[in-house]
Amino acid sequence: METETRNLRKEISEKLKDETLRDALGRFSEAYPIARAKAYENAGDIETLRDALRQMKIDTVARIEEVADRFEAEATKRGAKVFRAKTGSDVKEYLVNLCKEKGVKRIVKSKSMASEEIDLSKHLETAGISTTETDLGEWIVALAGQKPSHMVMPAIHLSRFQVAEYFSKELKTDIPPDIAFMVQAARKELREKFLRADMGISGANFGIAENGAIGLVTNEGNARMVTTLPRIHVVIIGYEKLIPAIKDAATILKILPRSATAQLMTSYMTMIAGPTPAMVKRDGKWVEEEKEMHIIILDNGRLKAAHDDKFKEIFQCVRCAACLNVCPVYTLIGGHVYGGHTYAGGIGAILTAFLSGMGEFEQFQELCIGCRRCTTVCPGKIDIPGLIEELRIRNVQEKGLPFLLKQTFENVVSNRKLFHGLLRLAAIGQKPFQKGRLIRHLPLFLAGMAKDRSLPAIADVPLRDRIGKIKKKIDKPVKRVVFFSGCTIDFVFPETGESVFKVLQDLNMEALFPEGQSCCGKPVIALGDVETTKKLAKENIRALEEQNPDVIIVACPTCTESLQQYAELLKDDPEWGPKAEGMAKKVREFCSFVAEEYGKRGRLTKTGDGPKVTYHDSCHMKRVLMIDKEPRQLLEAAGCELIEMKDADKCCGMSGIFGVKYAELSMPILEQKINNIRDTGAEIAACACSGCMVQIQGGLDKQLPGVRMKHVADILAEKIKD
Amino acid sequence: MEITNEIWKRHFPAENSGAYLFPEFEMRAKAVSAEVFRVPSAAEAREALIRLVDNVRAKKAVVVESPLQEAAGITEALRSRGVTVYTEAADIAAHADTADIGISGVEFGIAETGSVFQDGCDIATRLITILPPLHVVFLQSAHIVPGITEAFDIISQSFDRGCVGFITGPSRTADIERVLTIGVHGPSRFAIIAVDEEPKGGDA
Repeated sequence: METETRNLRKEISEKLKDETLRDALGRFSEAYPIARAKAYENAGDIETLRDALRQMKIDTVARIEEVADRFEAEATKRGAKVFRAKTGSDVKEYLVNLCKEKGVKRIVKSKSMASEEIDLSKHLETAGISTTETDLGEWIVALAGQKPSHMVMPAIHLSRFQVAEYFSKELKTDIPPDIAFMVQAARKELREKFLRADMGISGANFGIAENGAIGLVTNEGNARMVTTLPRIHVVIIGYEKLIPAIKDAATILKILPRSATAQLMTSYMTMIAGPTPAMVKRDGKWVEEEKEMHIIILDNGRLKAAHDDKFKEIFQCVRCAACLNVCPVYTLIGGHVYGGHTYAGGIGAILTAFLSGMGEFEQFQELCIGCRRCTTVCPGKIDIPGLIEELRIRNVQEKGLPFLLKQTFENVVSNRKLFHGLLRLAAIGQKPFQKGRLIRHLPLFLAGMAKDRSLPAIADVPLRDRIGKIKKKIDKPVKRVVFFSGCTIDFVFPETGESVFKVLQDLNMEALFPEGQSCCGKPVIALGDVETTKKLAKENIRALEEQNPDVIIVACPTCTESLQQYAELLKDDPEWGPKAEGMAKKVREFCSFVAEEYGKRGRLTKTGDGPKVTYHDSCHMKRVLMIDKEPRQLLEAAGCELIEMKDADKCCGMSGIFGVKYAELSMPILEQKINNIRDTGAEIAACACSGCMVQIQGGLDKQLPGVRMKHVADILAEKIKD
Repeated sequence: MEITNEIWKRHFPAENSGAYLFPEFEMRAKAVSAEVFRVPSAAEAREALIRLVDNVRAKKAVVVESPLQEAAGITEALRSRGVTVYTEAADIAAHADTADIGISGVEFGIAETGSVFQDGCDIATRLITILPPLHVVFLQSAHIVPGITEAFDIISQSFDRGCVGFITGPSRTADIERVLTIGVHGPSRFAIIAVDEEPKGGDA
């Protein structure tokens, strides 16, 4: 498939102006989590269900050929004709020939993402065969000449007024923008098509190897029409939909409707094993005849994924789109921007890479901000952000980084002295724009970056130059602790670094700051540059380990994660692999470590009546490190009155470079966060991640100046007497 | 080869099923806009159906027989009411699209979801379930299983080939502005007449 070069920035700014879309997605993203939770109320333990689905799919993909062979054999035994299509062209050729042979002139289609993927309808129309989408949303989108923007709700981006226009044009009569009326108009129009069609094409939600059955879940009943009325039924099913046994369908059905549309079950769930009778008119009389049933199993890149150690995970996808419904980026701009040819969102990026190619993946993959919210709802527990990162790495290995980035990473970031020297220079260069510790205005083309948020200024004196003053001599220290600050605390929030020292020393620990530490490598690996990341990893391991610490403390979840991942990164290196593994065992996130130590000393209890504080869960703190209780306990131990904000664990929109590069997209996400903070009435917004501090502090400064942003360490340190 | 609706009862669990699950089933079915009428006897099932027929002023009905319907004398009752009734596949094919009401039997209900399970291998049954604007099904009120898992314990032992499925309320869509709208392609009304009394011959 040819890849056109997209102008993503332009697409984003246009979409952000689309009030209909913003409104629809905004309301949906508010309603979905509540509706989903309610749908699962009577389903038993949700994690048990997700694990069962995941395991069933993992076992299936491990023997996908065997399962496919059995499916083919059983379906054939029951009278269906099975065709394995390697590519989209194979499907088209097979179908056009079949239509010719059987005299098919009119086709009705129910929903099939696989057919969207290969542009089937367009091809059939070109071949002179009338092809009608019958799912209401798909029909609307087809009339609009568009693509679905959501896997489950294809037309969510359109308003009733827009739909009325498309209907009026198609039906050549004035259709009012009344939803019930339009639905009836569609029923009437499409009913005729069902009754007159020679062939029905459906997708499948699952295919059962045990008896060759396909399963369909629909609400409108169109799939039942498509599979019942015409004399020929063609199923297009991707390999990933195959499951071994009839009972495995229960595993899917417990989950799919609940996750997709927050229904306990869709209106219709139909399973078809082999052809069933159809009524055909012969010489003016209705007679019962055995239907013709064709099943096309589509590969189109799926089997390559099935045999890839990492990407076989995409077989765990049941196309429920829950991941889109909670994605901070998708719910702002929708699937036409955050999506490829067919599939939207993060999962769409991965599917696109395999089903349409890396060229298309490259065009929009940056929109995954790695917040991992999707991983908390995905029924198959797919590590969507992790797979995207892996694809980025492979893409860089294959094609290399863009020149400027490559130069920056290889020559600047990986050279600590030069990198830190530049940061120091920046502290001087920013002076004209700086007001206090924040940059409030930027010249011309950079203005968008500081429009609704102030950017933090680089501190005059970085943490590394303050150590001499803050370091205390500890008698008989209980632990020797090395502090890995990360660039942001070192150069932007050195006071937070001082707080960390204060808290550790107060615990009678010896705190050290190795000068040789550098960037943790996260911004570099996020763009796929493994080699530079390895260089940084070795440098940090050397700097931290030569201090011979008992514990390595990190006050930023992303840096913590990076340090812990060095072992995986360097696993093939006989010298550094074991060192990285040894170091990972000592790495501790600040809050969880301090909470544990406070607990031991009886200091982790609620005290006093201090300021009202609300806590923001950083994405990587909560969903990678799984730490959410400890920072709250610490805040209460420090005397704060904790007030929970809405969506405390929703991304603030920073996400490393994303927040700067896609400032216009990052701002509405930040605005939601600021609004949620405002609603709590808290005086202080606390978090435990320096990246989030940059973003939220900037937003507060511009939009809610009465509220201060603090790291948990700062709040703890304030309670400690010098 | 055996068809699901002839053998599913052999695999229907004696334990872990029954009319005690009916209240939950009814609540879930009503939550998705199904109409549920539970009646003690075949005679009252007939009355419940006649009320529906009168309600929609049905003139034309397409019907596939089931033991519960036969016990209640549904087809005769309709005819005596002046309703034209079609029961043969060829007639159903010709008239299902314009019929006011479709009537069929279902195998069992699922409390967890308010769904009914039906063997639709017979083409006439499938036409009846999707084409008329009102679909009425007859269900034995003791034939309820707790959930999807238990339903598939039965299905996995009795579904070898053909077409089976769940029906859960009427046809619906939310494709325009996520506004729930009932009755897009399939029936806009779905009614369940659940009968406590077992049909004579008592094969339940």
